[in-house]
Amino acid sequence: MSQWLEKVIGEAQIQDYLAPVRQQALTQLKTEGWPARRNESWRFTPLTSVEKRNVNIATQGHDAPVPAIDNLNAIDLVFVDGVLITQVNGLDVPAGMSITSLNTDDSDTQQAVASVFGQVKPTRHLFGRVNDALCQHGIFINVEAGADITTPIRIVNLATQNLDAHTRVVVKLGEKAKAIIVEQGVGDVDSLTTAFAEYDIADDAHLEHYRFAMFTGAAKQLGGSHFKLHNRSTLNSTMVGYGSELSRLDVDIHHAGEFADAKMNAIYLLAEGELFDLHSTIEHAMPNGTTEENARGIVGDKARAVFNGRIHIHRDAQKTLAELNNRNLLLSRRGVINTKPELEIYADDVKCAHGATVAEIDEEALYYLLTRGVPRSKALVMLNFGFIRELVYDVPNAAIRDWLLPILSERFTHMEVK
Amino acid sequence: MLSIKNLHASVEEKNIIKGLNLEVKPGEVHAIMGPNGAGKSTLGYVLSGRDGYEVSEGDVSLNGKDLLELEVEERAREGLFLAFQYPVEIPGVSNMEFMKESVNAMREQRGEEPLSAAEFLKKAKAACKQVQLPLDFLKRGVNEGFSGGEKKRNEIMQMILLEPSLCILDESDSGLDVDALQVVADGVNSQRDGKRSFIVVTHYQRLLDYIKPDFVHILADGKIVKSGDASLAHEVEKSGYAFLGKSYEEAEA
Repeated sequence: MSQWLEKVIGEAQIQDYLAPVRQQALTQLKTEGWPARRNESWRFTPLTSVEKRNVNIATQGHDAPVPAIDNLNAIDLVFVDGVLITQVNGLDVPAGMSITSLNTDDSDTQQAVASVFGQVKPTRHLFGRVNDALCQHGIFINVEAGADITTPIRIVNLATQNLDAHTRVVVKLGEKAKAIIVEQGVGDVDSLTTAFAEYDIADDAHLEHYRFAMFTGAAKQLGGSHFKLHNRSTLNSTMVGYGSELSRLDVDIHHAGEFADAKMNAIYLLAEGELFDLHSTIEHAMPNGTTEENARGIVGDKARAVFNGRIHIHRDAQKTLAELNNRNLLLSRRGVINTKPELEIYADDVKCAHGATVAEIDEEALYYLLTRGVPRSKALVMLNFGFIRELVYDVPNAAIRDWLLPILSERFTHMEVK
Repeated sequence: MLSIKNLHASVEEKNIIKGLNLEVKPGEVHAIMGPNGAGKSTLGYVLSGRDGYEVSEGDVSLNGKDLLELEVEERAREGLFLAFQYPVEIPGVSNMEFMKESVNAMREQRGEEPLSAAEFLKKAKAACKQVQLPLDFLKRGVNEGFSGGEKKRNEIMQMILLEPSLCILDESDSGLDVDALQVVADGVNSQRDGKRSFIVVTHYQRLLDYIKPDFVHILADGKIVKSGDASLAHEVEKSGYAFLGKSYEEAEA
């Protein structure tokens, strides 16, 4: 057991309406403890920077600048060092939806939250358990059946001090509802953020989802986004990961109904010495579901990317169509990519494909462009950024597309290996 | 224009260029001929600044600047252009995107405003026409799926667009039939304006019937062993490089 985990267990308070889930998580933390070094889930992602940490949780919030996304015109919900600083009660929200704090006395809301909290996210995630046990600040977004909410909701986690932050987002989309939700994390100071989000997407509903995991430097992030898809519901998710000292995202997409469709594009760009780990699991439990997952990344000098993409097709999930692809570019021989696409199929009438590639910079092509006077940084972008740009062009929201492309190109030009 | 003095260069610790001297004045066309393995292509790579081509001795200046101090892209912006013998294919980067970036890098160097998309397209279309490349080549990946002749013409098209002061043509005739050779030569000749200089590297005399050189140099074992006017090329055509090898041996003795 690590020093940090012992302190986490000591901090847990489990008297509120979410006690059953919190208690279960706490029990698992106590009995299963800290992962051993060879634990498959953490094999390439050492947790040494967490093991000896002190547990410091903010009690008071403070204002901090929120990075802008021009023309997104979103409703912003902001956590600073784990404290929700947005007054959600006074928010002007579109008709057909409500946003409330998880700290609520309203029994109907409590009931609605409890139907999703810990019910979508699998219990196996170590830091998900920590979040279950410790999160005191969270948001519940409820979109009523049939509501088409075109105003994006953006949830921002800012890390500004050496603190542990545990925030939670719980989203319930009613039948035929539509919503756009953006999760964004930013910070570079020594800190630890576990930000977990659960989405319950009812029959015929559609979620457009973004997760921008942009913590860098010594900001450790251990979070996840988890989705339960009911009949004919659709998910279009775009994730962007920067690396940091320790950065890990767990994603679960559970096809709990028939004819659900999930599309997930993930981009990661790792600068020198950074680590980013994306674990995704797609559970096809019901027939006729479709999944398309594209994860693409560029790994800089002495950086490490870990990708584990699992598709599990249950015995009843006939006529499933699932594709998973992971493409990587290594900028240096000192960079590392551990990629593992996994297909586990128990149904006999399905169509599945998976693949992973790792490429290096084509020096001859680079030389050719340089002999024509093209600046080196632009030549590198031209040669190596195309496969990332394709995924950005795939982003359904124009404001996000316009915001992402320049910041990602900019980041890439600074990743060049000297 | 270009001045090469006692140039020594190696690739993977093997000496290829061994004391080469060459003076090229504005407007001149110099042909460099020589047997295989003499170092003809290496010279182009060394002058362009390719990684792995180490200069151990000597000086090279272009328009008064120390060329060897500059990066590959800086040399290009100083007016050096190398037309490759085997241009690389770059799928995923369109000719148009590539050339626009390239032309505007040159313009920036000269203190000119970048071209708008429309202005660039106009120039690019004219250059394509000049070397008889269909316009849809602009949209295709750089050299992607081009035939040998198309690649060579694409190199000349780039040269026309970039307006360099010194062009090095590395075996631009190899693998071309007579018609294609004529197109390449016409493209080159159209760029002879009395100021722009050319170094035409070739194994055969044939190209020099189309691009008339002012000087012909024979490169053997990393050095220029014989220089003359255009008639030297005909001498090579008649009797091959054997006699030059002999004179080279004599020079060594």
